[in-house]
Amino acid sequence: MNFWEKAQKVDRRVLYAILIFFVCGGLFFPATIPVDPDPSSKSFYSEIKKLNPEKVVLIQSDWTNSTRGESMGHFENLMRLLMSQNIKFVFYSAADPVAPQVARTVITRINKEREGQGLRVYKAGVDYLDLGYFPNAEATNTNMGNNLREAWKGRKARVDGREVDIFATPVLGNVKKIEDAGMMIVVTASASIDVAIQRLAKRVPIMGLVTGVVGPGVLPFYQSGQLKGVAIGLKGVYDVEYMMANGINVKPGGEGKAKVEWDGNNGAEVPPVTEGKTLARGQQYYGTLHVALVLLILAVVMGNVSMFMARRRQGEEA
Amino acid sequence: MNENQYLLIKITVGVIATIGLYSVLYRETKVYRFFEHIFLGLAAGYTLVATWKDTLFNDWFVRMFGRAADAATGQEAQVGYWIYAALLPIGLMGYMVFNRKHNWMSKIPLGIILGLWSGQQIQIWWDTWGPQIYATMKPVIPTTFDSLTRPSTLEVVDGRLVPIPDAARLAEVNNLIAQNVYASQALSNLVFVLTFVSAFSYFIFSFDLKGRFLTGINTFGRWMLMIGFGAIFGSTVMARFALVIDRMSYIVNEWLQVLLRGGA
Repeated sequence: MNFWEKAQKVDRRVLYAILIFFVCGGLFFPATIPVDPDPSSKSFYSEIKKLNPEKVVLIQSDWTNSTRGESMGHFENLMRLLMSQNIKFVFYSAADPVAPQVARTVITRINKEREGQGLRVYKAGVDYLDLGYFPNAEATNTNMGNNLREAWKGRKARVDGREVDIFATPVLGNVKKIEDAGMMIVVTASASIDVAIQRLAKRVPIMGLVTGVVGPGVLPFYQSGQLKGVAIGLKGVYDVEYMMANGINVKPGGEGKAKVEWDGNNGAEVPPVTEGKTLARGQQYYGTLHVALVLLILAVVMGNVSMFMARRRQGEEA
Repeated sequence: MNENQYLLIKITVGVIATIGLYSVLYRETKVYRFFEHIFLGLAAGYTLVATWKDTLFNDWFVRMFGRAADAATGQEAQVGYWIYAALLPIGLMGYMVFNRKHNWMSKIPLGIILGLWSGQQIQIWWDTWGPQIYATMKPVIPTTFDSLTRPSTLEVVDGRLVPIPDAARLAEVNNLIAQNVYASQALSNLVFVLTFVSAFSYFIFSFDLKGRFLTGINTFGRWMLMIGFGAIFGSTVMARFALVIDRMSYIVNEWLQVLLRGGA
């Protein structure tokens, strides 16, 4: 058996071991890779920065630990963005009963991070509301569009140890119908974003933070204007972090070339985030993703070349 | 046990479970099976409790039985309506699917759900595809050749890239953009429309496509579809890698660092 034949018969477990070794190694060296964010990510960031702080943001958090690698980065970015702009928000899930708990864990961690940086900590019932789980996304979104107060009737918030109706809190006090919300953002790894667009896109601006698997199916909604912005997969996580650090059309020190350029939104400057963390999980994973993809491409090339060489040799021997 | 020790134990259990589940890459063992069953059991148990606590209790039980006021927690009294009890037998009928003799009953709740869903579909269909069909109608013939590309609404002022400061001139440029189709836009739109039409034509099965033009469009559509599927597959591969990277980060960054700091 020559080298090329041996190369074709490498045990898959060896390939897994190589992948894990390089992925772990890559995590020790996070690098800020210059990137041109996707237009859909730029729209997302620009729309978030335009939000009115007086209006509440509705977050449909439909992700769980099964897509932690992408969705957690998305959710962390969203929290950092909203908290840096003092925007109140409500979160709930219409897809998975586990989803609200995963979101709670992230909010607690981001609050701790902000506390450590001397920034204002978001208080449940005052700055944000946790509505828990609503089964059946179709019925939930339809009801929200028809009558938000009726759809969320009976949900309570705990403020200073006392149970209060969510519509009596500062978060939802001024909200009578879904049109009163500033934005709805769906963080998802499934088609729950399609359901939300179908039922609510005419009533409230919707944006998405989705996984790489869902992304290609969601892009037509962005191109048709049904979604105002969407960040897709790990690239989307890093896109948003990169814009949080550098803004859009903002030249460092007022000179030279802007790190992120965009002629959308009339080419206006969109400022970076000036408090708390900006480059975080996306930065850490994005470089490692490149290492993993290089390995994959090498394995595909190696497999094809060795197959070609082995066949050629067999032909010569015959 | 202090908070740091608790954190260390919690993350260590997570690491053991991660390694246990990844052991399937070596071979399917009892270790893998053990952690798989724990995962399934936890997910099922959690779903049961969360569904009751977040949904059934508030939206059904309390509405049926009502509840008394509680001054200590600030809870207000709520009147109960017994009509909500009618939902229980309808829901339970779904479980009759396990009974051979009476499984026809399970079709009643299923029929209600299907009816509600079907009733929404006409409006849903249009709300999904209507704006997309509209967005597909793009002009492919340029209306001006004064400039090949769209004029910029930006200007460099004091070294900064800003929208044109003169409001009247900005309005004029925006007006030009709105009223004209520039050559670069037309070309971009043409690529989009050609891709759309050719990919769409691939799904014409009602009659045989003959002639070089029609078969050419059909073949072009197939190529476009293949490119699209390739892009989707690439995106999916990246998503899967993201999952591996996250689990490795859990071990390398979260667990190892907590361990090295002694649980801090």
